[in-house]
Amino acid sequence: MKYVATTGDREITVEIVDEHHVIVDGVSYEIDFESVSEQTVYSLLANNQSHEALVYESEDGWQVLLHGSQYVLVVEDERERRLRASLGGGIPQNVDFHLRAPMPGLIVTVPVEDGQEIEKGDVLVVLESMKMQNELKSPRPGKVSRVRVKPGDSVEQRDTLLSVI
Amino acid sequence: MFNKVLIANRGEIAVRIIRACRDLGIGTVAVYSEADREAMHVRLADQAYYLGPAPSRDSYLRADKILAIAKKSEAGAIHPGYGFLAERADFAQACLDENLAFIGPKPSSIAAMGDKGVARAKVAASGVPVVPGTEGEGALSDEELLALAEQFGLPLLIKATAGGGGKGMREVQTMEDMPGLLQAARREAEASFGDGNVYLEKLVEGARHIEIQILADSHGNVIHLGERECSLQRRHQKLLEESPSPFIGDDEDLRQRMGSVAVRAAQAVDYINAGTIEFLVDKDKNFYFLEMNTRLQVEHPITEMVTGIDIVKEQIRIARGRQMRHSQDAISLSGWAIECRINAEDPYNNYLPSTGKITHMILPTGPGVRLDTGVYSGFRISPYYDSLIAKLVVSGESRGEALLRMRRALEEFKIIGIRTNIPFHQLMMDSTRFVAGQYDTRFVEERFSMEAAEEGKEDLSEIAAILATLVAHQQTQRAAHIIQRNERDTSNWKWVGRWERMQR
Repeated sequence: MKYVATTGDREITVEIVDEHHVIVDGVSYEIDFESVSEQTVYSLLANNQSHEALVYESEDGWQVLLHGSQYVLVVEDERERRLRASLGGGIPQNVDFHLRAPMPGLIVTVPVEDGQEIEKGDVLVVLESMKMQNELKSPRPGKVSRVRVKPGDSVEQRDTLLSVI
Repeated sequence: MFNKVLIANRGEIAVRIIRACRDLGIGTVAVYSEADREAMHVRLADQAYYLGPAPSRDSYLRADKILAIAKKSEAGAIHPGYGFLAERADFAQACLDENLAFIGPKPSSIAAMGDKGVARAKVAASGVPVVPGTEGEGALSDEELLALAEQFGLPLLIKATAGGGGKGMREVQTMEDMPGLLQAARREAEASFGDGNVYLEKLVEGARHIEIQILADSHGNVIHLGERECSLQRRHQKLLEESPSPFIGDDEDLRQRMGSVAVRAAQAVDYINAGTIEFLVDKDKNFYFLEMNTRLQVEHPITEMVTGIDIVKEQIRIARGRQMRHSQDAISLSGWAIECRINAEDPYNNYLPSTGKITHMILPTGPGVRLDTGVYSGFRISPYYDSLIAKLVVSGESRGEALLRMRRALEEFKIIGIRTNIPFHQLMMDSTRFVAGQYDTRFVEERFSMEAAEEGKEDLSEIAAILATLVAHQQTQRAAHIIQRNERDTSNWKWVGRWERMQR
């Protein structure tokens, strides 16, 4: 089975030959792969080099914490990849962004208002949690819409706070 | 003399204090909020009492309830830990009024050092240099502070009068920002300490934050236990501390001068029990009194590692009216200790706090490693309290040995289910400036970024790709397997049974 793992601009082809062999960009590795605790910590012996990593899925792809560095990879098999290519690929910029609370907390301020034009990186909401004030920023430019919270509101994790259209 | 201590705190520090009591054969009473029923301190204490709902103002800050519980449980003393009620003179006084020993200084010392303005005036009067600021001015209005800011000149710091730990602290670079920053600082101070008063202080640039641990008993003995280097901070929150300080190094003269000034500062307020004098030290080794923390510090373990003295046990001994077991000439620093504060926050996502259940935890162990924590696998990190979940402390014969040991321990330490700042510390252990001991209080914000620190490292993208692909592959296989199982909606045994009956 052939997969393509994308990290940043780099595409790495990983072919799973069998349980103990993979070919990475044409280079063959002899591997032994085990989950060492509840499927988040994995031990990989690659040509007898021992690596231990935390691997978990996130919205941006697979997060791999390996020897103190973080790698974010999108893994697709060949079919998925072709499908995406035929659809034009990429994440469209005109999709609405819904700001969700990353954790439960208290709304301190909402420095933007409905209809306001904003730039990427502008602070949308200041949320207090764990006694720290956290600035939640816009990932793209756009127009603020549907502000659903006001200072003093308590919010739960994943509550939608406002949208950027 | 008491034989049972109520610990008016939670988390790792409550656990730390319970351990000291256990070591002394003293009974322990824990208190807990709704969010902490399953917390480690509740599990370890001899007795535990419910305080109230999760927010601290309804639980750990409820002095009245805590005193009532102390009475009911027949505890003879209260240890406040750090934060919450630790530096509230009124609470210390209330304890004494109820005939309870307060394991900490006298209310008058807390009051004197607690209002930082008064503290600075008092210390300055005994000849200790202080950083310019609105010392001894009491509670000032925003208008007065704005006027004074013009007078001192920028940059300035806004600090919470009742504060500590960077809460309610803001840095002012331009006058336009100042009104907004004052509001934010007051709000945060109000939420953290129940007191929205703030003061101003001139920002010493390129400064190092070095503090001296002192111990004082009720028999007039005051000693210091050397220094702790606390310059590694982000937004005035300490992240990593070491003892001794690489900046002071083998300058024994500077160490003793700072030590005796610290002792003098403590004597100026008639101090008893453990306390810490914080200094700002500039590049020419001039030192200025910053403030005194009239409580046990988060980073006390590194001093314990290099002096061999159990500070919490010593606190209890002093509160029992005994003499300290050590005199100044018996104190020497041996070896090196480093502490990394492990916080539930994501260093890859602007240090955003991370909450949730710790599904699994692999602890660092082995020679020279100490872990102070209040969490365990299965514990849920709630958003109500501080993000500090563990203190990883290592010691070694030399700084080099301690650094390598910390690197090893961080690699072993795995916390699954929430994000932590362990990767931040791992990169710090590889930072050449940090390893060389050349860092000041601005280092993390101005010269350190997670991305840049990762650049020089060996690229293991291929290995990461193999790992991600194998995990993704396993997941697809498992999903496919589940679908196959469901193809037949009854169990295979049943199906075979029916089929066999049909053939009869």
